[in-house]
Amino acid sequence: MDYVIDLLIIGLSVGMVYALVALGISLIYSGLDIVHFAHGEIYMLGAFIGLMLFQHLALPYVPTLVLAIVLTGLLGVLIERLFYRRLTRAGGGYTVAGMGMIIAGFGMSIVLQNIAFLVWGAKPLPFPVPFGRPLEIGNLTLPMSYAWIVAAAVVLMLGLNLILKKTMLGLAMRAVAYNKDIAYLSGVNVPLMISVIFGIGCALGAAAGVLIGPINYVQVQMGVAVLIKAFAAAVVGGFGSLPGAIVGGLLVGVVESLGAGLVSGTYKDVYAFILLILVLMLKPSGMLGVEAKMKA
Amino acid sequence: MLEIDNLVAGYGSIQILNGASLKVGRGQIVALLGGNGTGKSTLLKAISGLIRPRSGSIAFAGERVDGLRPDRIVRRGLVQVTQGKDAFPAMTVEENLRLGAYVVGDRSNRAANMERVYGYFPVLKQKRSQLSATLSGGQLQMLCIGRGLMSNPTMIMLDEPSAALAPQVVLDIFRTINRICRDGMTVLMVEQNVRMALLLAHYGYVIKDGIIHIEGTAAELMHDDNVRLSYLGGTVANREAQL
Repeated sequence: MDYVIDLLIIGLSVGMVYALVALGISLIYSGLDIVHFAHGEIYMLGAFIGLMLFQHLALPYVPTLVLAIVLTGLLGVLIERLFYRRLTRAGGGYTVAGMGMIIAGFGMSIVLQNIAFLVWGAKPLPFPVPFGRPLEIGNLTLPMSYAWIVAAAVVLMLGLNLILKKTMLGLAMRAVAYNKDIAYLSGVNVPLMISVIFGIGCALGAAAGVLIGPINYVQVQMGVAVLIKAFAAAVVGGFGSLPGAIVGGLLVGVVESLGAGLVSGTYKDVYAFILLILVLMLKPSGMLGVEAKMKA
Repeated sequence: MLEIDNLVAGYGSIQILNGASLKVGRGQIVALLGGNGTGKSTLLKAISGLIRPRSGSIAFAGERVDGLRPDRIVRRGLVQVTQGKDAFPAMTVEENLRLGAYVVGDRSNRAANMERVYGYFPVLKQKRSQLSATLSGGQLQMLCIGRGLMSNPTMIMLDEPSAALAPQVVLDIFRTINRICRDGMTVLMVEQNVRMALLLAHYGYVIKDGIIHIEGTAAELMHDDNVRLSYLGGTVANREAQL
């Protein structure tokens, strides 16, 4: 029984990481109408930026996390302004739904991977954070690194919710996600808001990268697997739905962990996709799937 | 207040406005009339900045505004009120209104504007914490007018405020528009409901094939044979006689 609870805890914390990446993908999808295929690489860059801050500037873990989130968010804004926005202009609107953007996303993912390879090399790097002794609850021991993931992710999710629900910025983001013309007519600076949404999406990805770093190694290829898991999470929850991304992420994490622990670890990556296929068969719009027009 | 000269605009390779000119004086209610596909909505979109005019000029309060981004035009005090169906359904009534005050920096000004809107439309105050998806068609139209007023504009443009509403509701909304105008607002109103619009407006323009076809005071248009025949329900016999 304790073994199952351990698996659940691991599943939930890894699920939080998937949820953060899926949240970024969903946020970008709802705001920009693009499916961002380079989001795994944003996660990877976030982890590397965090590692650099941690090792070379010798920052403590929390400032590292915050600074990596901010820097990667700004990097995201830069990427959106320099590259993706040109594609939307070519289409004549603020957004391009379709093949062009998807291929550009794949291209961006390859470019970012290779830049990371040139800078940091192919060798997996450790991210040694001294978290201290594991937490002991009854006869369970919970490594602090997992507790950190859950705590930080919950804080970020609550923060995002607060921004979206309570601030003018959040109101404007929701307006842009629902309909850009009406947002414009309400006086919202739509191009700026699109950059903000993309930046926040990337910041969430970076947070996930820095949080997973101490558990796994940081390496150039780390974004590939997580992107697919996060997509599975987003689809399971209902693509474009923010609560759905969180629920989907946790579910994928738990199913994967239970599957690996109870059935067989060899097929660790299969369980998430079995879940994905089941959801697509039984409820194709996802668990919390919303009508496209209600996404704001 | 608003002066449009020889405006040409369209979408892609399709040109819809072929040189429309019109003027709206300060404190007036001006109706822009015309059937489907005549260029009314395109004209509104060009004025509010959603589409870029190809040639011609738009001047608001003495300054050129053509080619500006829509949010900049809202900041100048010229705001387009969307149709009722364009309220944000997943936001509450109050959130919709607050969003309308996006360009108003000061919190107390926003609160004052909100009270003013609730003064015009008390029903919105009752329903302020409900999702706007739960409102009736008339209430949605009120919400959109209210959202437009939240930015402190000096002129509002209404896009078919009577669309898909019962006559009694339209009358209510038109009365409030009249009140808003008497409180100092300039109004440009696009309408298909010509009879109702001319009851309210001081001056009217009839647009056809992307140019202004007929113009005059409301009383002149009411008695204009072309307008009567085409828009005020001339009899079939009249119509055939004309053909």
